[in-house]
Amino acid sequence: MTNIDPPAEAAEAAPDTPAGTIGASPASRRSGAGGWRSLVPRWSPKLGIGLSLVGAIALFGILGPVLTGDPDTIRDISMTPPGGEFWLGTTQTGQDVLALLAHSTRGSLQIGLLVGVLATLLSAVFGVIGGYVGGAVDEGFSLFSNVMLVIPGLPLVIVIAGFVPVEQRGWWTIAVVLAITGWAASARVLRAQTLSLRNRDYVAAAKVAGEKPWRIVSVEILPNLLPLMASQFVFAVILAILSEAGLSFLGLGASGSDTLGTMLYYAQNGFALQREAWWWFGPPGLVIALFGCGLSLINFSIDEIINPKLRTVPAAARRTRGRTGGAEREGRSAAARSVPGRGEPGRRESGRDAVLTVENLNVVYRGEKPVHAVKDVSLTLGRGEILGLAGESGCGKTTLAYAINRLHRPPAEVTSGSVVFHDRDGSDLDLLALGREDLRAFRWSKLSMVFQGAMNALNPVISVRAQLEDVLTTHRPEMSARARRERCAEVLRLVGVDPRRLDSFPHELSGGMRQRVMIAMALLLDPQVMIMDEPTTALDVVVQRGILREILRFREELGFAVVFITHDLPLLLELSDRIAVMREGEVVEYATADEIHRAPRHPYTRRLLDSFPSLTGERGAFIRTGESSARERPGSGSGAGTGTKTIVKEAGSR
Amino acid sequence: MTTLEVRGLTKDFSIRSGLRHSRLRAVDNVSLTLTPGRTVALVGESGSGKSTVARMIARLEKPTAGEITATGPDGRRVADRAYRDHVQMVFQDPFASLNPFHTVEHHLARPLKLHGRARGKAEVAQKVEQLLERVNLSPAADIAQRRPHELSGGMRQRVAIARALAPGAQVVIADEPVSMLDVSIRLGVLNLLARLQREDDLAVLYITHDLATARHFSDDILVMYRGRVVERGPADEVILNPQHPYTRILAAAAPDPDVRDRARLTEATGIEPAGNSALPGDDPGCTFRDRCPEAFEACARMPEDFAVGYDHYAKCWLRSGAGSAGRPAAGGNATA
Repeated sequence: MTNIDPPAEAAEAAPDTPAGTIGASPASRRSGAGGWRSLVPRWSPKLGIGLSLVGAIALFGILGPVLTGDPDTIRDISMTPPGGEFWLGTTQTGQDVLALLAHSTRGSLQIGLLVGVLATLLSAVFGVIGGYVGGAVDEGFSLFSNVMLVIPGLPLVIVIAGFVPVEQRGWWTIAVVLAITGWAASARVLRAQTLSLRNRDYVAAAKVAGEKPWRIVSVEILPNLLPLMASQFVFAVILAILSEAGLSFLGLGASGSDTLGTMLYYAQNGFALQREAWWWFGPPGLVIALFGCGLSLINFSIDEIINPKLRTVPAAARRTRGRTGGAEREGRSAAARSVPGRGEPGRRESGRDAVLTVENLNVVYRGEKPVHAVKDVSLTLGRGEILGLAGESGCGKTTLAYAINRLHRPPAEVTSGSVVFHDRDGSDLDLLALGREDLRAFRWSKLSMVFQGAMNALNPVISVRAQLEDVLTTHRPEMSARARRERCAEVLRLVGVDPRRLDSFPHELSGGMRQRVMIAMALLLDPQVMIMDEPTTALDVVVQRGILREILRFREELGFAVVFITHDLPLLLELSDRIAVMREGEVVEYATADEIHRAPRHPYTRRLLDSFPSLTGERGAFIRTGESSARERPGSGSGAGTGTKTIVKEAGSR
Repeated sequence: MTTLEVRGLTKDFSIRSGLRHSRLRAVDNVSLTLTPGRTVALVGESGSGKSTVARMIARLEKPTAGEITATGPDGRRVADRAYRDHVQMVFQDPFASLNPFHTVEHHLARPLKLHGRARGKAEVAQKVEQLLERVNLSPAADIAQRRPHELSGGMRQRVAIARALAPGAQVVIADEPVSMLDVSIRLGVLNLLARLQREDDLAVLYITHDLATARHFSDDILVMYRGRVVERGPADEVILNPQHPYTRILAAAAPDPDVRDRARLTEATGIEPAGNSALPGDDPGCTFRDRCPEAFEACARMPEDFAVGYDHYAKCWLRSGAGSAGRPAAGGNATA
């Protein structure tokens, strides 16, 4: 590694930071107290209502007792309805309900807060430490929290509360009892989460850097658990206030202190209900309900931090989707609008019949910042053709594939364009105008799809046979059981899997075999088009080669067309007839594989090609030259533009 | 001069399914030597044990057997305590290897402080900026304040590389450092690694499944299959003149834009679907013989490393010199 030119990388740094990857502006990045900013829930009406409810009640609990005077003052005006001097009326013994309510709210809040803190601490100690340390400690802690979990909470609380003599039963006793019975479930959740975080690479990286275990737990793991813990804290507070109210109502509550529960208890004892003194039992009930409601609303917002998928307005950060790719997977609802029929574009493909024509298709992800994921894409898939769709993550290639099959999900929307399927029998189908039922019948039987990482899409508890036959029973209900069985065996044989494997369960098959089973499933109904989205990326080259061989063979034998999506351009060069290179939603070059190989015209295509070093070419050429390979491409530059059908969209200002 | 020497590295994982315990040998008797300024590539398919080797060298896993010896620039053995200063690792997934909660600065400042390379706020900040500039991330002061989610994959991986350099490591284990990145930026990150290696005279272990970059970016290649190194030798020799049947199949299966030929795709290479291993876990013979198109009787015994060229070895009876003489004409007893 001595023959390297340093300038090679300077050029690379620029494309490395495409606009849009870095969402936040420098100004907003600076603001806020660092990582804590990411923990602050996004503003939403839910959060606003929740916060104002909780804030108002807390303020009432804090300031109310100071402003309302002693609630225990007994007057001789009992059971006055609200009005005049007493805004909320008086009790049987002439106590001011408002003062009573203020003191009780404070008491309940105290208990709720203390229980929240204690329960969260206990669950953190048992869950996080157990999860991180593992081994015997984890076993012990798990056992303990499991035991705590199966002990029925309320009866235990009643027993403990009943066991402590009344005179010693202060509000903090109740709080401790509630905390001890309430932490176990949270500890289990935290443990599971810690177990997953523990295996993250950044924890491994911290270990390699030589960090001490306590620092790894407190600095690397704990901050990532904070949203979860906050949510558990809020939940513990709600639970504590409710349980305390229940206990006090049963007469097992704190003695000598006012809580909302004791207030209800006295109201019950004073026959408030029978005497229709609604002002006595109504307010404490309402405060409990509103406080619980407010905290729950806050919890929803915290949940959105933990699980961003819950957000109602999907974030516009579609560009990072490439990695996970899951957002729009297997969408069922098709919100696509039908497009007014534009003429008949199909059937003009280079001598071959077209089977699928895509004209000026546009797909937009709606959101705060709409993302135009597919821009004016026009493609024609000939019968029996293999069309390669090349591009990097986030270029819109998967979105395009999903839109063709109308599998895209709501934030994504087809804004214009047409997708027409030309059936073998000569009829044309406008896919964007198909109704729900027609679409269901169309999918899989005429156009099937093999998803990215599809081998993990098999149901692990159902045998291969059952999963294959399920497709047949849905789409070909008239088929006999025997015919179904034979068809399943037949497709398995086609993809090179022993039909004896039909009775296997997915976990008994290797990754390559599972992927073959998925392809077999896509073949079951003898489709005319198969869309394959990175079907081999998760597989080893040797297995990949085997599967590609099968695809080519089917094409010959069964005559269907394939749209093959991948970032691996060299693979497409070998496999496909024509290649469309996509970048930022646009097809920048659309030509035969041969032309793309010999004379790529768009700079991006060239860059993509140059990203793959030749296995057998001159050694080191790749390194020395970096971004622009010195490898001479025969014909590059000379043969360009001589009557080829190559479509090249020059990269615009984007 | 060697910087890191690995001898007879072996790792067993115990698998518990129900009440039964079984043992899986993930890495079997792997030896390799890393020298300053040179790159050794460890190639193999997923599950071949190459990442386990990396994790053992980085001391994230304890070896079942074998030893790992690091030698300092002074020629003396690196003490256990200083091992982490000496050997660092770049992980595969830059989206997972940086803590989403912390800034870039945190990721670089911690190793600097831990290894006593910088003291005081100003010095740490200055060293962090230096590191970022070395990996071509500028403006460094701005990048340092960002969080991982504000960076692209390529930038994250550069941060991860800077983190590995922070303790002043002499040995860098790069575990598939570019396989999670977009294809058009992979080369830049590899070139960066190559430049840093030259500047600091680093010893690099490059772990990958991509034969082409292994060939272009490394001096020597070790091919692993089911926990064993089946072939080792100079990069060009191993790729252009593979001697082990497995390496041959691998080289034939890799797409190569320069040898574009669809016929090559359709022709039968004698590769059977990988499937699950038909061999029992404690099989004494060659681990490749159930898939090997050229297997014969001798393969039931474990082959040793036979020299097939200058510094080029293959673990295959076919290369035993005398081996071909005793080989029957028709395939032999390949375990089906």
